[in-house]
Amino acid sequence: MTDALTQVTTEASGLFAGLKVADFTWAAAGPIVTKQLADNGATVIKVESFKHPDSIRLGGPFIDDKPGINRSGFFADFHSSKLGISVDMSNPAAIEIIRPLIEWADVVAESFRPGVMKKWGLDYASLKAINPRIVMLSSSLYGSEGPWARHPGYGAQGQALAGGHGMTGWPDRPPAMPKGAYSDSVSPRYALSALVAALIHREKTGEGQHVELSQIEATAQLLAPELLAYQVTGAEITRQGDAKAGSLLHGVFPCKGEERWIALEAVTEAQADALRAILGLETLDSAAVAEATATRDAFALMAQCRAAGVPAGVANKASDLLEDEVLNAHGHFWPLDHAEMGRLKYNGPAYRFEKTPSALRFASPRLGEHTEAVMTRVLGFGAEDIARFKQEGLLQ
Amino acid sequence: MSATSGALAGTRVLEISALAGAVCGRVLADLGAEVIKLEPEGGEDFRRSLPLVPTALGEESAAWLAYNHGKRSVTLDPLADEAGFAALCAGADILVTDWERLDLDTMDRLASVARRANPALVWCEILPFGRGGPYERYAATDTVLQALGGHLYLNGDVDRPPVRISLPVGAIQGGVEAASAALMAHWHALKTGEGQRVDVSVQACIVWTLLNSTMAWQILGLNEMRGGAIRKERANRFFTRLVWETQDGYVFFGPVGGGGGSARIKSYEALIAWMAEDGITDPILTRHDWNGDGQFFIPQEDYDAVTAVIMGFIASKTTDELMARSVRERILLAPISSVAGVFDNPQFRARGYFRPLDDPDRGLKLDLPARWANLSATPLATLRPAPRPGADTAAVLTSLSQGSPA
Repeated sequence: MTDALTQVTTEASGLFAGLKVADFTWAAAGPIVTKQLADNGATVIKVESFKHPDSIRLGGPFIDDKPGINRSGFFADFHSSKLGISVDMSNPAAIEIIRPLIEWADVVAESFRPGVMKKWGLDYASLKAINPRIVMLSSSLYGSEGPWARHPGYGAQGQALAGGHGMTGWPDRPPAMPKGAYSDSVSPRYALSALVAALIHREKTGEGQHVELSQIEATAQLLAPELLAYQVTGAEITRQGDAKAGSLLHGVFPCKGEERWIALEAVTEAQADALRAILGLETLDSAAVAEATATRDAFALMAQCRAAGVPAGVANKASDLLEDEVLNAHGHFWPLDHAEMGRLKYNGPAYRFEKTPSALRFASPRLGEHTEAVMTRVLGFGAEDIARFKQEGLLQ
Repeated sequence: MSATSGALAGTRVLEISALAGAVCGRVLADLGAEVIKLEPEGGEDFRRSLPLVPTALGEESAAWLAYNHGKRSVTLDPLADEAGFAALCAGADILVTDWERLDLDTMDRLASVARRANPALVWCEILPFGRGGPYERYAATDTVLQALGGHLYLNGDVDRPPVRISLPVGAIQGGVEAASAALMAHWHALKTGEGQRVDVSVQACIVWTLLNSTMAWQILGLNEMRGGAIRKERANRFFTRLVWETQDGYVFFGPVGGGGGSARIKSYEALIAWMAEDGITDPILTRHDWNGDGQFFIPQEDYDAVTAVIMGFIASKTTDELMARSVRERILLAPISSVAGVFDNPQFRARGYFRPLDDPDRGLKLDLPARWANLSATPLATLRPAPRPGADTAAVLTSLSQGSPA
């Protein structure tokens, strides 16, 4: 079996084969972007500081429920197909290692609090001086400038500020938090679009550039229609609970079993008729629907609705997703083996290319797993250089 | 018209869309592509989707206006005018379409025309479940997709049924995902001349919003539970409050028990110093190392007790007061913005996120949340009004017959 470095370089397939990425991103929003590059063939070298590794290595779930730097499933899912090196970035001499990496790279990606890359001498102006064609992506929560640029926060704060949180829940209650640091899942899609556009521009003109993105600004794109309506009408649209304008029936109803729910919606009269027939009801009064669904199996009811053309969806739990026939038919989950975590199913992309299939090539790197291989086979350092770097404390 | 200075200058996109495809086109247009909508006589149905707003041209869809400004509109029925459609495709780089506009059979028929006319074309489809698989033709609404993607289950209050996010997040996220995927495929086409079909699954896009749920199940056998203002954060075994009522709104704040990290610890220290200035020094505030290693072993009643004290303090302040000091002292707190809160937010305003759109035909002067990225060499496009149905038919078709780009 070939090692990871051979897999990502000489054996790479996928539409980004040959693209080189120096990846300084951490947490979720940044690594989700570079994962798309890695899973499509790019050589992505994740640089971590062994004194301050990626913080989501310290976020659960941990294998066997036992915390450990190489045991987080949260980290693993966003780091398939990436090589990992670890360096003491706080040591000013780190530039000796990082400089050849920047010379090698087509793309530098980072998601630190504004100012960190500059402190290391790795802001865009410095990168450009080393490699004029470099495309740099900087993604931060609030953006690199502005009065709140250095305000601390994570995706949960981001989705609150950007409006997604306020749009979730019941109008008669405080807003209910949408799961999942939501801005961390909206912003990567925007960041990737801008990054690939910048690569296309470079391909055509030879010109590199700096792409700067604020995760809250990307996330507030979800509210563009509501922001427009507010200016025209003066009225604010807010969270609507189980209501949805324009639908004859819309809601989430209980089914047989513990915390089993089904979302049902009737948009047309024909769908409403079909749903009444399925439930044996005269009307689609919400209470009556809930009473009728409560004794039904959620999946059987969904299948019945599907056959009749009625929109219906079981409120899938994470355990259901792993068994989901559609996701599995698409090979959405990729089982990958990790030296400390064993075999886990990683999420693959939500898009599929007919001619250039994506591939999750191997599991997430352990901290510094590929340091020596990258130092020697990518950056051209010799054994004596590595020994010296270790002595100087640059490498572990 | 196509001479923009954007990153995608010279790239032409055709759009046969409802919402999701329009969002994809929005992203590509912002990045400098020329986006041409193909519409039936009188305009596509999505122009009349809810919510409607009054303009000088009549009632129009807010979502349609928000995601279609700066595009061109050509009246063309691609099924009836196959030759015209093929000619348009021959000069295009990307075609995007979505399930709310076209059924699968129509997509297949049009794709074969388009790809025969232009082998380098990227044909991008946004579908509820992607191509193939048992639900390929299943009618799905955004709420159904939020449910099947696993996100809806996790949202809402524990004493009521789960709720969707009250926005069509599936279609919107699917649209942005499609933009990134279409550009990746276009990159490949530029290098090799090979076009291809790209399909996006909205369900899978929703799965991606969960972040760690599928790993939590595999590793811990844990299905997380929804929570409203109070929930078990990060797979904790205890409940903490995350939504707090201020004098005039709500803030998001996890002062205690939310996982380690020096940011949390410093944030809590700054909070209790501020509370002390207000004379609030209840011993519960310092009884435990609330964000240290021992946080997982603190009893629930102590979490409840400290929460009650903090709640009183936060309720005595306005959101602006809280934010002003929190930004200064790095307290991990953020406003839960209403629509107006997003519109007025000082960070958005200082960064020039909102850009003006003057649309005299509609009698609208708007500030739209437009500058979602800053590209140093190729800034995002300047805003121009959304087209009337067929506004560019003559110009685009004439340029085609003359064999030059529009």
